[in-house]
Amino acid sequence: MGNEASWDWNTDLKEIPVEEWKERFNWVEDFQISPDGESVASIVNVDETAFQVCVNGEVWDNAYEKIWGLKALPDNGFSALVYDGEEWTLARDGEEWSGRFDFIWDFQVTPDGKYLGLAFQKDSEYGMVVNDLPWDQTYTNMAGMTLSDTGTSAAVVQAAPMKAADVDSFKEGLFSVALNGTAFDHTFLNIWDLSFDATGRRLAWGVRLNREAYTVARDDIVWDRTFQGVWKPVFLTPENVLAPVRESGKWKLFRDNEPFWKRGYDQLWKITLSPAKGDIAAVVADSFGKWTVAVNDRTWDLTCDTMISDIFYSADGSCLAAVFKHKGLWNLSVNQTPWTLFADKIFTPGISPDGSLVAVVIEKQGKYHLAVNNRIIAGDYDFLTAPVFSPDQSKILVKGIEKGIYKRRILSV
Amino acid sequence: MNENDAEIIEEATDEAVEKGLERLTSERISEVINQVLHKETGARFKAYVDTCMRCGLCSDACSYFLSNDRDPRFSPAAKVKQTIWEMLDKKGKVSKDFLRRAVHIAHLECNVCRRCSMYCPFGIDMAYMMLLVRRICHKLEITPQYIQDTVNSHSVTMNQMWVKEDEWIDTLQWQEEDGREEFEDLRIPLDKQGADIMYSVIAPEPKFQAGLIYQAAVIMHAAGMNWTMPSRPGWDNSNMAMFTGDNEISGRIARTFFETAAKLNVKRIVMGECGHAFRSTYDVGNRQLAWTMAPIEVVHAIEFYHELLTAGRITIKEKFSKKVTLHDPCNVSRGRGLHDMARKIVAMTCSDFVEMTPNREHNLCCGAGGGVINCGPPYKKERMRNNRAKAEQLAATGAEVLIAPCHNCHSGLEDIIHHYNLNMEVKFLGDVLFETMEKKIYRPGE
Repeated sequence: MGNEASWDWNTDLKEIPVEEWKERFNWVEDFQISPDGESVASIVNVDETAFQVCVNGEVWDNAYEKIWGLKALPDNGFSALVYDGEEWTLARDGEEWSGRFDFIWDFQVTPDGKYLGLAFQKDSEYGMVVNDLPWDQTYTNMAGMTLSDTGTSAAVVQAAPMKAADVDSFKEGLFSVALNGTAFDHTFLNIWDLSFDATGRRLAWGVRLNREAYTVARDDIVWDRTFQGVWKPVFLTPENVLAPVRESGKWKLFRDNEPFWKRGYDQLWKITLSPAKGDIAAVVADSFGKWTVAVNDRTWDLTCDTMISDIFYSADGSCLAAVFKHKGLWNLSVNQTPWTLFADKIFTPGISPDGSLVAVVIEKQGKYHLAVNNRIIAGDYDFLTAPVFSPDQSKILVKGIEKGIYKRRILSV
Repeated sequence: MNENDAEIIEEATDEAVEKGLERLTSERISEVINQVLHKETGARFKAYVDTCMRCGLCSDACSYFLSNDRDPRFSPAAKVKQTIWEMLDKKGKVSKDFLRRAVHIAHLECNVCRRCSMYCPFGIDMAYMMLLVRRICHKLEITPQYIQDTVNSHSVTMNQMWVKEDEWIDTLQWQEEDGREEFEDLRIPLDKQGADIMYSVIAPEPKFQAGLIYQAAVIMHAAGMNWTMPSRPGWDNSNMAMFTGDNEISGRIARTFFETAAKLNVKRIVMGECGHAFRSTYDVGNRQLAWTMAPIEVVHAIEFYHELLTAGRITIKEKFSKKVTLHDPCNVSRGRGLHDMARKIVAMTCSDFVEMTPNREHNLCCGAGGGVINCGPPYKKERMRNNRAKAEQLAATGAEVLIAPCHNCHSGLEDIIHHYNLNMEVKFLGDVLFETMEKKIYRPGE
């Protein structure tokens, strides 16, 4: 995104009836809505084994035997994985890639929308394809596919063959990381959680060296210390990597092989950085079953009994929001203060760049509502997708379906 | 050594165990045993060790003891004596022959079914003691080959059967197409953000029993549920690592599972008919991660079918007429108390039901659970011998159809029926529901 200033922030309401699509087509699948809210799309069935993508009532030219993975793109277009003549490819706004595969999945898009990445399988060999360019080298097995923000790609690949139930070969370590298709030298027992730096050139990951020893590798160089466990590492700077590791029964934050935070926790994961302020936040269990957020090794007053599913910083680092579940209901806590809007479901919050506004879609008793700063400002939708603040933060774009009509609304905040 | 001993040792040959034993030094053995017993345990373990007064009341609770003519070596207390107590007495200085036998006892002569704990005057959790032995075996790298391979698979793919990511999605799409034989607009919605339900299965379903996914899709569609299945890893709810003592991988599996559901923003997870997977989500895998209970509600198929039938979302066209009996899986009955709910479903779907005795939380284990069947073909003959009591229990019902709402039980009971020529057919509750339900879409108020 980043071009929000060019969107229409002045028209209060635009409507597209979608209920009538159900009359036109045999069935209509799940709706996807473009970031600017100007387009609503769905996979539709037009014949026994014929599917098309319908955008604002207009269908793409081609029909396919199968379509899945329809996604709204940052440029406000749509892409989907399409199948015809026993081959899969990607179609973007109806235009197909030239590459054809036996299967494609794990569709990822960079935040700026410039790169579209997929996992592919062709002739039982596996690789990634980015913007229609498949890896030169393919592998017998692949997992953990990751597309960086700059369009580089990496995955865990099996570097040597293994027979069925061959625990001896497995013990030797069969897995490497492939960056843009080329595998690093080292093989490991296990590799998880590939993590790029901001440039997309450096890569860190968690490894298991043997049954008991876990550690971190950065660009294939392994930390000296080993641990009882490891979660996803994160680049603090191009040269420094943070990772939650388990040592002496406690989870601790390490930086480049050395202790970084002083405290140990019963759990510590989801390291989240504030690039603007340099703060480091994580989801932690202070003790068994007592979940909270730690910022720079200091825990919030908030304690919840069930789960903190994610945490999000505003661009300026002044606001940190946590999505949490307590006593069976979901809620949001902003800078340690829980909201009063407990819900059945809560979706990814949007935070204004200066951190003063937090918006989130919630679901209560089957109806969707939009809350901003702990107050419901729109409600009773059958479906709502992520809201967007206007560049001057005076308005919010609400995108939802109500009684069979897609509604693009601009509300003041 | 009697003939029985010779047979056990002959059948116990396992390449992974033997190679693992070859690699071990006495120092490594004692180091690992002492580390596990003294650094990874606490008051609970001490209480169990100090409290057992060798009364033997646990013996008759064990189907291995009953199936082996009350051979005292198969008494649960004796299994602890032959493993943990000896390790403690010798301060970890035990021989490789001792370990070979310990591997066998912990992995092949105990289903960690916890029936014995109900008969222990102090409620000692023998399964916990056997799982400690398995934890030691894991660290010493002497876990039996086939179950270790399932854990290896979990660690790489997050499913237990090396199902590749494209194979998983392709199978769902194939079942979706087949399901359109029943309902032309049937879908298996993939990655539907904000669905009410994430439906999850264990890896044998896409690998060998894809028809179960088809049946589940038909039931979901007919009931009008807002549901989804994930296309990415996290779809497999099973957890073999919790049976080999690989607690770290067990936790990683559970995290992937629950975070997949959280990312989809579902209200709850409905799972197919699997017992151990259910336990891994409410008792074991979650607690490895500091979640006291499942962070997203997990609903076993028994609970879900009961909900659909009592809410009228699924109606029965005609009851199943063959004589049926019901096996109570340990992890959902003794572990979670769903046995009466299962009976209510049987009553709503079947016209001729006979109880097997004993039943409910007192039921005998299928003999396959706890990872025993996952130790693979080398041990099948021995498993059949150890399942004699279960075979006798099944035969006494005179039923034509045995309903077993658990995957491990299902497979193990099929082996027993074949081996003992019991002439019974094994079905899941979902099979019965699919056969008897009206294939119409639920509309509120109709």
